[in-house]
Amino acid sequence: MLQIDNLKASIGDTEILRGVSLDVSAGEVHAIMGPNGSGKSTLAQVIAGHDDYRVTSGSVTFNGRNLLDLEPEERAREGIFLGFQYPVEIPGVNNAYLLKAAVNAKRKHQGLAEIDAFEFLKLAKEKMAVLSMDPKFLNRGVNEGFSGGEKKRNEILQMAMLEPTLAILDETDSGLDIDALRAVAEGVNALRSPDRAIVLVTHYQRLLDYVEPDHVHVLSEGKIARSGDKSLALELEEKGYDWVREAANG
Amino acid sequence: MKSAVLSFDALQEAAEKLPDGRLAASRRAALEHLREHGLPTTRNEDWKYTDLTSIVDIGNQSLERDAPRSRSQELERRIESIRSAIEADWLIIANGLIDDQSLSAFDNTQVSVTRRSESDDAIEFGAPLSDLNTALLHDGLCIHIDANAGLRRPIGVLFIDDATTAPGMSQARVEIAMADNSDASIIEYHASLGSAKHYANSLIKLVLGSNSRSNYVRIQERSRHHNQTGRLSVEVGRDSAFNHCAFDLGGGLIRNDLTVDIAEPGSRTAFDGLYLIGDRQHVDNHTRADHRVGPAESQQEYRGILTGHARGVWNGKAIVHVGADGTDAAQANHNLLLSDKAEIDAKPELEIYADDVKCSHGTTIGQLDETALFYLRTRGLSKHEAKQVLTRAFAQSIVSKSPIVAIHDVLSAMIAGRLSDLMQGAEL
Repeated sequence: MLQIDNLKASIGDTEILRGVSLDVSAGEVHAIMGPNGSGKSTLAQVIAGHDDYRVTSGSVTFNGRNLLDLEPEERAREGIFLGFQYPVEIPGVNNAYLLKAAVNAKRKHQGLAEIDAFEFLKLAKEKMAVLSMDPKFLNRGVNEGFSGGEKKRNEILQMAMLEPTLAILDETDSGLDIDALRAVAEGVNALRSPDRAIVLVTHYQRLLDYVEPDHVHVLSEGKIARSGDKSLALELEEKGYDWVREAANG
Repeated sequence: MKSAVLSFDALQEAAEKLPDGRLAASRRAALEHLREHGLPTTRNEDWKYTDLTSIVDIGNQSLERDAPRSRSQELERRIESIRSAIEADWLIIANGLIDDQSLSAFDNTQVSVTRRSESDDAIEFGAPLSDLNTALLHDGLCIHIDANAGLRRPIGVLFIDDATTAPGMSQARVEIAMADNSDASIIEYHASLGSAKHYANSLIKLVLGSNSRSNYVRIQERSRHHNQTGRLSVEVGRDSAFNHCAFDLGGGLIRNDLTVDIAEPGSRTAFDGLYLIGDRQHVDNHTRADHRVGPAESQQEYRGILTGHARGVWNGKAIVHVGADGTDAAQANHNLLLSDKAEIDAKPELEIYADDVKCSHGTTIGQLDETALFYLRTRGLSKHEAKQVLTRAFAQSIVSKSPIVAIHDVLSAMIAGRLSDLMQGAEL
């Protein structure tokens, strides 16, 4: 589904990704781990299309299409979802409005009619129940005054409504208490299916207790230093990131 | 530097053609006062950014011919469409003339409406533009709202001008007195049609009695050829509440002066505003709150969205006089510049001569938040849609503060339409 080949990307004059290669197939859950500054978030942002980052070489292919040619909104409509590490507060834009606009943008792209207002509300409330979110959040400004946990649940709600083919969750677990973590994990697990892939970008192993990954990759200094199965995450938790860095350099 | 020179002889001639009566003496006195002081120029600090020269030219040209007395079909249709869009008891001043029909049809047992010419009181001198207003005033309206009245429908005053064939000038004056414990919503609506140049000069006085409340909305959607100077002078009584919100959506050169005089304690004033301007529009909002006693509150927030070569001016002044302890005054002005050719001159001014006060001010000038734009695009909204959504949200925060809830939908629709026009031309 997603093929990343020798991807290099810079911000300004600083090269952050220094040749990342990764294959993600439908039905899989990948975890990308790594210390702060290793390039995890950059990788997520480049896949979503942030134009602060300049891709200097390599390729990213999504379902056979060159992803790097597409605008962020085109990537979204093609089925890519990025859950933000720091979801943006947008006062004055109603949460329900954004959800509906997002769903309709995708439906339009697929040649479908706009979602019926009643249908939309019913669906949103169902998804919110899974995430233990109060329906009142629909009528608030997007992330406006939300707590850290509420913002992350709201990201998962958007994901649940959009039903992406590929979901990339950037540190969705950071700063969450155990209840929020469970709710988020439940939202992610509900989306798992043979047609979809999920990439979890995370610093800690904690989320992986609830969402079991098929593959674990460790990113270090802009490259994937090590790949393995879920046991790699546990090994990392035990030995720390220095172990990977030393192993990679040694 | 150019200066604005009115043709006083033509002015006098025009004034003499106006109906004789109790206003004649006030007109003559105002004209003499104006002749003595002249109109302000950009050398005057309060008029630094707004040059009246073009307005004076229109005024002089209009004085060369008689003001139109008949109303076109198109004008009638426009009036009707505004009346049907906004539910209110409407009074109409068209081309500076009071609409008799709206006056006789005005039916509210708690409100009396009379003509200014029926009053024995002379009109006092004022600022130069107020004197110009008096000197050429055909007639004004006096609205009295009874004590303890609670109006269910807003009172609407529509100022509409039609300059179809030749440059025009109009003066309009409304004096509103709200007696103690009264509660009224007021809509001040400025509209225009025609492709010739026009200059409209309005003066509104509002006096709020003790414990009264006025929810006040001003809407200005004049055409690009129409220029306007407008003054709203408010005196707030003890424990009264004045909630004001202004929307400047059109016009060529627009100058609004809003003054609030707080001479009795316990009042709360909120004055907010929004200006959406593009092309070469020029909108200048000058506000002034005089806190003469405390405790009293004045809170203001103006927001602007500017595209093209638009020029915005915001000057908010709060003066806390000696002894006005317990004053709480806050001013904010936020601007979104959607073009690098647009310009805003924002100046908050606090003058504080009392000790126990709480005052704050802040202004911001910026572009749309790039992070928010990217966020919306990752949710499938196009760049253009994302910009529109963020811009609308910026404006909507003033609409939701607007005190007459019944017209929120009308305002939102007007603003959405105006924004989509503005953003067509913006670099997107």
